[in-house]
Amino acid sequence: MGKIVVTGMGVISAIGNNVTENRHALIEGKSGISTLEMFPSKFVGSLPVGEIKISDNTFIKNLQVKEQGISRTTLLALHAFNEAVADSNLSGKQISSFDTAFITASTVGGMCHTDMMYNDAKIDTAGSPFISSYEYAATSLYLQKRFSLQGHVNTINTACSSSANAIMYGAKLIKSGRANRVIVGGVDSLAKFTINGFNALHILSAKPCTPFDEERTGLNLGEAAAFIVLEKEEDATHKKNYATLSGYSNANDSYHASTLSNEANGPYFAMKAALEAANLLPSQINYVNAHGTSTENNDLIESIAMLKLFENAPLFSSTKANTGHTLGAAAAVEAVYCILNLYHQELYGALRFYNPIATTKLAPIQAYTKIPLSHVMSNSFGFGGNCSSLIFSKI
Amino acid sequence: MFYIHSSSCIWAQQFLFDDVATNLQEPVEKKMYAVEPSYSNIPPAILRRMGKAVRLTVGAAIPLVENNEKPNGIIIGTTNAGKDDCVKFLNQILEYNEGMLTPMNFVQSTPNAPAAQIGLLTKNYGYNITHSQLGLSFEYAILDADMMLEENPTHNYILGAVDELSEYNFIFQEKLGTYKNENTTLAQLYNSNTKGCIAGEGAAIFYVNKNKIGATAKLVGIDTLHTEDENILQEKFILFLNTNKINSNDIDLFLSGENGDNRLDKFYNIITDNISNNSTTARYKHLSGDFPTATSIALWLASNIVHTQVLPSILINKDCKKSVYKNILIYNNYNGLQHSFMLVSVVG
Repeated sequence: MGKIVVTGMGVISAIGNNVTENRHALIEGKSGISTLEMFPSKFVGSLPVGEIKISDNTFIKNLQVKEQGISRTTLLALHAFNEAVADSNLSGKQISSFDTAFITASTVGGMCHTDMMYNDAKIDTAGSPFISSYEYAATSLYLQKRFSLQGHVNTINTACSSSANAIMYGAKLIKSGRANRVIVGGVDSLAKFTINGFNALHILSAKPCTPFDEERTGLNLGEAAAFIVLEKEEDATHKKNYATLSGYSNANDSYHASTLSNEANGPYFAMKAALEAANLLPSQINYVNAHGTSTENNDLIESIAMLKLFENAPLFSSTKANTGHTLGAAAAVEAVYCILNLYHQELYGALRFYNPIATTKLAPIQAYTKIPLSHVMSNSFGFGGNCSSLIFSKI
Repeated sequence: MFYIHSSSCIWAQQFLFDDVATNLQEPVEKKMYAVEPSYSNIPPAILRRMGKAVRLTVGAAIPLVENNEKPNGIIIGTTNAGKDDCVKFLNQILEYNEGMLTPMNFVQSTPNAPAAQIGLLTKNYGYNITHSQLGLSFEYAILDADMMLEENPTHNYILGAVDELSEYNFIFQEKLGTYKNENTTLAQLYNSNTKGCIAGEGAAIFYVNKNKIGATAKLVGIDTLHTEDENILQEKFILFLNTNKINSNDIDLFLSGENGDNRLDKFYNIITDNISNNSTTARYKHLSGDFPTATSIALWLASNIVHTQVLPSILINKDCKKSVYKNILIYNNYNGLQHSFMLVSVVG
């Protein structure tokens, strides 16, 4: 079959409420990292996070959500979903059609309402309106109902690589003839749950994160939702084509539940197999949007993997310095950024990079640059060794 | 679709297909826990650190990995994996006021842990994924395996599902009205005519590929849908039969996902109304309890029935004395919203 093209995008993150705002923030080198303020926690006012400063009530009003107990995760997803389907000009009929699939990803689900969930887990309390929202699938079920989706509706959870796998799954549905168009991506909200989890693992930074810097001190969590619309090239001749999804892969590091192996097996295999799927040589990749969480382990191992695969490491950066690590949404957000790179033939400068890692000496691109780009790669690596890479190419 | 070569299941019962079912476990307080083996194939130090869903999955998967060519990937469906650790970590957060917490519960709370642990313990660098679409989590894992095998016809995959029953997910589901108000027995479940089901758990794992030789069963077709409308269900079911070129008379056995919840009867009636009166019907959730990936138990039962040609009498609802079980239809309804059909056949 022919190519799979991107015909629509939607994103909300700490650096903007839509694709245009996100692009301008990236061009201007705006950091979305601020201190936590939107929900009660010990970390309010001190912990740096990529937080979207819009209240749940504002989303509920703007999105005309009538139902009770709709989680912030679902609200963010609905916001980005609306932008993506409008951008692709999908009619209501097309959205709900049996040949349109919706594949999302999340690692937090409705657990962003951590205190509520704590109460709901007690035997002697009545269930709150949020009780059915904690499932990872809750977002997809709400959108299924709201848009009467009749095609495949699925949720993937491979930790921090979840939405890369949602994008892959959607592409495979098109390739195998099981769908003609797919809306794919992911969402995660900031949560007391994940903040305390990553804090217990000692990988949260007390200051804004510095991906690939020698002195990096850990990651900042963020929240976001992003969806892209994929269609067959032959079905999308009449509309805007942003880029093609030319390759993807998923590999396992098979080493440890929460750290990457020194050999960088998972990241290396994922990138290599994505190149093979796209039928490209390493030298044809012009830019890598790295996983680049700014943890000691990730940035070193990802650098090792890039040096192992590429004779000369391509231009690269991590936009997690802008958005924070948005977990299940990260790969979808970064897919949108890669598509913007290709569509506008531009790269955004990395924030807060000072000195390269001593052993690998790789430095990310540091200034906004207009540059011819044909193929860009996006990496996402998750707990459990779940590593995925996507390759987008210029139309 | 593809062939099932071997399978393994850890659930609330222990019975073999060449045996008459004995020592059946009854539900206790609306719960049916899995009968766990001794896990002699998992190193004790590792076993102690595993959450239950991981233990069930790894316990079922390791024999299949050891007895077959190295699989090209691991594809798991789950909704509840890690829920127990998740709530335990939640309790730590609130009870220690976001102080210095131990990360073990957090790391184990991720639902991708079962697939990841199989990958880790069997040194598998291949495709590794976890689907979590509530009552269709296993079905989307199957569809994934099907697409992977279409693209790579020489590959082999570990495909399966797991859900754990913990104190906490029972509380959540009880508050949602999932379970019966009254206690019930294995024999009474389907006659209760009340709302709700009983809770269960389990893991079923399959070694699948496109190679007919040596296979024990064939998965001919699968389809899913989200709807609360019986008419749409009926249309989709007829389409499923047509797509798979099967006449309703050729369904020898209908393995129904009925769970004793009278709110779902109308959906199961659509299926029985649209298949032949000559099909034997069987049920299994009195033996397993219900949980989002219970259809993995159904597929395990169906693949064993076509392989051994033994239909354990404890499963039979209406016996049409079939001389052969060639085609088995599985239909499941989760929560009145999520539907799946599977067609399992003998290896032709």
